[in-house]
Amino acid sequence: MSNYTFIPHPSALIPAFQMGTIAQNELYSLIAEANGRGERVVVATVAHTRGSTPQRRGAKMLFLANGATAGTVGGGCIEAEVWAEAREAMRTGKSALHHFSLTADEASEEGMVCGGTMEIFIDVWETGSDKEQF
Amino acid sequence: MSNTGDQSTFIVEAVRRILEESAMATLVTLVEARAMVGAKLLVDESNDRVGTLGDAALDEAVARHAQKFLASRAEAATFKVEEISGNLEAFSDARLLFERIEPEPRLVICGAGHVGASLARLAHLVGYHITLIDDRAEFVTRERFPEKEIELIAAENWSDAVSACVGRGRGVAVAVVTRGHNEDEECMRAVLAARPDYVGLIGSKRRTNIVLERLRASGFDETVLEQVRAPIGLDIGAVSPEEVALSILAEIVAERRGGTGVSLSEWRRKKK
Repeated sequence: MSNYTFIPHPSALIPAFQMGTIAQNELYSLIAEANGRGERVVVATVAHTRGSTPQRRGAKMLFLANGATAGTVGGGCIEAEVWAEAREAMRTGKSALHHFSLTADEASEEGMVCGGTMEIFIDVWETGSDKEQF
Repeated sequence: MSNTGDQSTFIVEAVRRILEESAMATLVTLVEARAMVGAKLLVDESNDRVGTLGDAALDEAVARHAQKFLASRAEAATFKVEEISGNLEAFSDARLLFERIEPEPRLVICGAGHVGASLARLAHLVGYHITLIDDRAEFVTRERFPEKEIELIAAENWSDAVSACVGRGRGVAVAVVTRGHNEDEECMRAVLAARPDYVGLIGSKRRTNIVLERLRASGFDETVLEQVRAPIGLDIGAVSPEEVALSILAEIVAERRGGTGVSLSEWRRKKK
């Protein structure tokens, strides 16, 4: 018999969608769940950065077919552009590396702190496709 | 090409397995290439592989490089194929994304008093998975800590609870911040048996010396005791419990990321 007690959280609800960093286990669970429903998932990953950028390498943002998102690749500076590319990837099912740059001028005009370049890999995860595999 | 068909399922399941087992692996994705963009290879620590980048020689070279990548502290990095292997001409202009797969860092906090409670809330914000233990059940209630990522343990016996929560100690930081020496000592005995990545003990120099001396007297190895951060935390002049928690968390992050704890602007004043 154990002499300590685990106090469970009263809520069984998992708030799946959040801004800020997303934990890896949550991210891959969300991919598995969506793929299990037969849906495409788009994942944007910061692959490479130069200069002052708003997110670290490896930061991820996930996009679901219903428009929900989780995680972030860097706030206002480039998020709108990443969203547009992610929507495109959701439509076409094609993964690709994208270059985003924000010059210091643009950044200071918008009052933002970033001024570097970022390479973001926008990737499509799906199952049950009839495409030929390896 | 995207992650279609079975490859995607295999990779996702393998990644989730790695995370559940508190293991580590490298996920490598072909991000720039003439074909197969999005193809993936997962390489674990014992060099077992799942998936393929579409070429056996490329997989081989990537698996070798994956171990080097894992040994660095980088979370993610891109490499040209020519950087990792000189004899894969067909892929010379291709680029690969290497990503570290590892569970989120864990922090076990012994003691849910003012410092322990502040540390739990602060570390939660920073992305740690937290276990907060106290022997006073009224200190570890959901009313005080509604965050689901903060695991709460009411312990009648510190050492059983601490041992169970620290586990093998890998990827785990432990802050011992109970209300008294005897409790601290009991926790430390259980913690040091597991060798976590970080162990910190709260108290003044004199008081932490008393605890360490007792541990030494009961046969704990000197090399183990030397690793203990006692007094816990970085010197930021912390006064309030919240500031002390910040000082502790700063030390834990510095330990994990390889930081020095020195002001980033220090070089400006040294130059003169």
